[in-house]
Amino acid sequence: MNTEQLLTQAEDLLATWSKESTHPDPMRLDVVISADDLRAATQDLHTARWGYLSAITGLDLGIEAGQLEVLYHFCSGPAITTLRVRQPRDGEAVVPSIADIIPPASFFERELQEMLGFTITGLNNNNRLFLPDDWPEGVYPMRAEFTKDQGAPVPGRHADEMPDEGLINGNTFVVPIGPQHPALKEPGHFEFTVDGEIVTGARMRLGYAHRGIEKAAEARNWNQNLYLFERVCGICSHTHAMAYSMGVEKLAQVEVPARAQAIRELVAGLERVHSHLLWLGVAAHEAGFDTLFMYSWRDRETVMNLLEQITGNRVNYSANVLGGVKCEIGPEQAKAVKEGLSYLEGRIRHYLEVVTTDVMFLNRTRGIGTITFDEAVKFGLLGPTARASGLVRDVRVEAPYGAYLMFPVSAVTETNGDLEARFVVRLKELLVSCATMNNLVDNLPEGPLSVRVPRKIPAGETISRMEAPRGELLYYIKSNGGESPARIHVRTPSLCNWVSVLEKAVGSQLADVPMLIAGMDPCFSCNDRMVTVARPGDRQTWSWEQLRQHGIEYYK
Amino acid sequence: MTTLSALFTILIFPAGLMLILIGMLYEWIDRKLVARLQNRIGPRWFQPFADIVKLFAKEQIRPGIANLLLFFGLPVMALSGALTAALYVPLMGFAPAHSFPGDLIVTIYLLSLLTMCIGLAGWNTASRFSLVGATRALTQMFAYEAPFLLALLGPALAAASWQVSEINTYAASHWMILTQPVGFIIALIGLMGKLELPPFDSPEAETEIVAGALTEYSGRGLAIFNLGKSVELIVGLTLIASFYLGGVAGILPFLIKTIVLLLVMAVLQSVLTRLRIDQTVGIWWRFGAILVLAQILVMIIWKGWLS
Repeated sequence: MNTEQLLTQAEDLLATWSKESTHPDPMRLDVVISADDLRAATQDLHTARWGYLSAITGLDLGIEAGQLEVLYHFCSGPAITTLRVRQPRDGEAVVPSIADIIPPASFFERELQEMLGFTITGLNNNNRLFLPDDWPEGVYPMRAEFTKDQGAPVPGRHADEMPDEGLINGNTFVVPIGPQHPALKEPGHFEFTVDGEIVTGARMRLGYAHRGIEKAAEARNWNQNLYLFERVCGICSHTHAMAYSMGVEKLAQVEVPARAQAIRELVAGLERVHSHLLWLGVAAHEAGFDTLFMYSWRDRETVMNLLEQITGNRVNYSANVLGGVKCEIGPEQAKAVKEGLSYLEGRIRHYLEVVTTDVMFLNRTRGIGTITFDEAVKFGLLGPTARASGLVRDVRVEAPYGAYLMFPVSAVTETNGDLEARFVVRLKELLVSCATMNNLVDNLPEGPLSVRVPRKIPAGETISRMEAPRGELLYYIKSNGGESPARIHVRTPSLCNWVSVLEKAVGSQLADVPMLIAGMDPCFSCNDRMVTVARPGDRQTWSWEQLRQHGIEYYK
Repeated sequence: MTTLSALFTILIFPAGLMLILIGMLYEWIDRKLVARLQNRIGPRWFQPFADIVKLFAKEQIRPGIANLLLFFGLPVMALSGALTAALYVPLMGFAPAHSFPGDLIVTIYLLSLLTMCIGLAGWNTASRFSLVGATRALTQMFAYEAPFLLALLGPALAAASWQVSEINTYAASHWMILTQPVGFIIALIGLMGKLELPPFDSPEAETEIVAGALTEYSGRGLAIFNLGKSVELIVGLTLIASFYLGGVAGILPFLIKTIVLLLVMAVLQSVLTRLRIDQTVGIWWRFGAILVLAQILVMIIWKGWLS
């Protein structure tokens, strides 16, 4: 089915509930419905298997308009259907929960509840997910009237502390993991109830690294925000910047030159290689296979060096500008990329062999944490985690954007859905990426690197979807025609995949839990790079090479 | 004079200070080898020593719930157990400091003391991680202990003696790695289990339970436990080298044989993935115990047939 047919189908499905429906652009269908009909409309889409719930965006339409709005974005291939529910600002804004129909919605709904003060009826978990424990009650940061003084911490408030079932309660006790824990280099908190070695319950708490970026974006202009959103994630920073700039370019109706688009895809591809190799190391470490960890991280340096050579940075590459890119691929870079990729391709093939043939390693991955195709659909999985269960969820393939139209990639899927399949999918995906990048470097389109984007972006709203290394990344961008955005909502792929971890952890062995968490590749911040080494009375700037040599000498 | 020499034996050589220093040296060799195999640079030669000095200088934090006597006593007991075991083995190629018929059993018992102390320490400190770690450490002990004992029994049967020094002498003319290869492999892997080295490091799997049974230990207590492990590494290597690799008579053969064993262990440590505790137990009982029993059975029948 093509996009038009998909949208017509969705329109027919929602005809009973629709109060008003529009097509803001050829890919999208907006349907206004009432809160009472929301569950029925969702159920209809769900029963007809029309796409999946990609994100829930909450909007404050402003004090004058006196309304709040909730947007339920459903995606099917390139088509996006948005259910819009409006509620008054004054008094209680109530929407029913759809988490029993679509499990990952519970995370989106809890975000909505905390950030905009919606009351979600029927939500089984009302504990805080993002906001800190000492955040005052009844203050909602994404509301228009919010000022930063209101967010002052309330001393001694620990209302949502997870119930601690005591040290030992019969035969079971709780093993807390995070926010500071050697197993998890990411600030998240999990509590696993264990009976001996078997996990009988799992809970989680996020938000330890919540920096209020969405709110901060509203106070910055379009150009500044590019650098802000690049810092959402240290690993997939390019994808974030790309999703943001492509959204803004779409709103501004600016056509980005083909060469810029191709360079964006190249950097995104290199980023994927770096991200997956990083993940391979982390996952191997979780399984207790440190040798693979060390080797994969050594090889990752190759791609880090390439990224540095192209963009000048190792972590937040800053390759994008609104309207194009700022780094050129000359003959020198092209040669380096090709050499680096051919080395990496060999290594990736080797790792693929290791993870599929090493008996001891397979003990820890084969048949562990299996997610069937149906479960993958039910949990709303994204990215490689979904593809390991045979579910094709890859924006690059389903809804190609930018240079992916010129240099397409194919989706890699596996059918087993266990941890082994997740290793295989990610590694095979890298081989596909490498081949595409090789082709891209050879056939780089000629042309300028960027075009001008106006300071003021025309009013409107758009949805920008990208395939990040971890899965679909969704940006909802709304402009009022000013110099800064009215609302930007970011839904990262990790958020959609958590449900599967919590569901799969219950009943598994405690020893497998770190692997299950790592299996979906939750996103955590990346390391920084030092260029100034300060000792007492000795201050000098070191080059990267000097620093490297110093490190080698120092630890010899 | 006898008191003096006894004190020297206990405090300086072969037990005591000298052993601790060699233990640290071997720990460094192990860490360096694993690091090189993992394509890392690895620590400098004095790193284990520096670690111990640092730990001794640090504050020892005691959990309120823990029994004081056990908390401070267990590390000492673990280290002294390992040091005492050293008195009965031909350390550095010298004849054992003490020897009597049946001292093999005492040595093996003393070597198990470390694991038992670690298990008790985990239970005593009552943190969730240390409880899971202690359970795993003790479960694992039940898995490898019997096969390990049987694997050391093989050479004893061949030498017709349960005295370490006599087996060592017998081994000088019989390379039992050739006649009892199964026993050799199981003894070596059993030693890795005892020392909780990868792939048998689930009792201290940092990605699940932080540092396992010793999570709550810091400062001196942790340092002493670490020393105990280093000493046990030496004693274990000495036993295996003297039983299976043609005995250790002299410093040079001792060094060569134990370091070769250490190299094999380092390779195994780097190429194997950590086993889950249920997999560890499964492997030991399903393969380890049965194989070594079969080998002993073959030996008994062979001996009976010959005589």
